[in-house]
Amino acid sequence: MSERVPALLIMHADLAAALLRAAEQVYGPITGVTVLSNEGLSRDALETRIQDIVRDWKSGGLVLTDFWGGSCHISGASVARTRGELVIVTGINLPLLLDYLHNRDSFALDELAERLRKKGQDSIRVQRAQPA
Amino acid sequence: MSWMIHRIDDRLIHGQVVIAWGERLRPRRIVVADDASAASGWERELLGSAAPGIQVDVVTIEAAALDHAAEAARPEGAFLLVRDLQAALRLVELGARVPVFTLGGLHYAPGKEKVNEYVYLDDADRRIARDLIARGVRLEAQDVPASRAAALEDLDASVRTA
Repeated sequence: MSERVPALLIMHADLAAALLRAAEQVYGPITGVTVLSNEGLSRDALETRIQDIVRDWKSGGLVLTDFWGGSCHISGASVARTRGELVIVTGINLPLLLDYLHNRDSFALDELAERLRKKGQDSIRVQRAQPA
Repeated sequence: MSWMIHRIDDRLIHGQVVIAWGERLRPRRIVVADDASAASGWERELLGSAAPGIQVDVVTIEAAALDHAAEAARPEGAFLLVRDLQAALRLVELGARVPVFTLGGLHYAPGKEKVNEYVYLDDADRRIARDLIARGVRLEAQDVPASRAAALEDLDASVRTA
């Protein structure tokens, strides 16, 4: 066991809150994950919100965002520059979030981020209909 | 070609630019004209990595103005981004011939009044808007390609010059 890795979920519109709610239906009640929307926020305002949240993290944590190049990602990366030990993971999906919940107490930050990247990528599969 | 859009947005490069406008218009190049970003190696790297497959140049407003006519003559297509009306005016004052600036995101800050969901202006912004319009530059609010462009004068009567 290592210290629990905290996570901040930043996404467009209501997606972060909805994704967390969907995760709760599979995982059960969730504590320790903060959600944030970029809606209506300038980059400076979004960065300030992120700073306020990650300030409490003693030894870093994960910033999980929807897509690469969006303001959620850019602002997260910008805050990570001023505060060490933040790792950004983009392209978050439900399987990845569930894997985070199951493993956040078992891995150090960098190993967890790498595990989640792989989990998220492996979770995307194509299945073609097989007519009988 | 080559300038496809001149956009004013305090987020500079972000999802609406990369995904909505980028996928629709497929520019070869995005020029971010922003003195603060151009002065930071780290910021240049961050914005430069934000639009995979598109060349991103983060330059001073002065450098963008100097390069503006040359890019206009190139065939492939380019976006220009500035963070506020002040920067837009400066680009025009320095000689860039910009027919239209698209207001894509000027978000709420203390002292700013709502014009629409994504444009908030104060009196200084309005003065600059009138100055730009008087110079023959059109100002249109439009966040994404699928939404309708609206002339700023129609959304905010106080920027009308006549």
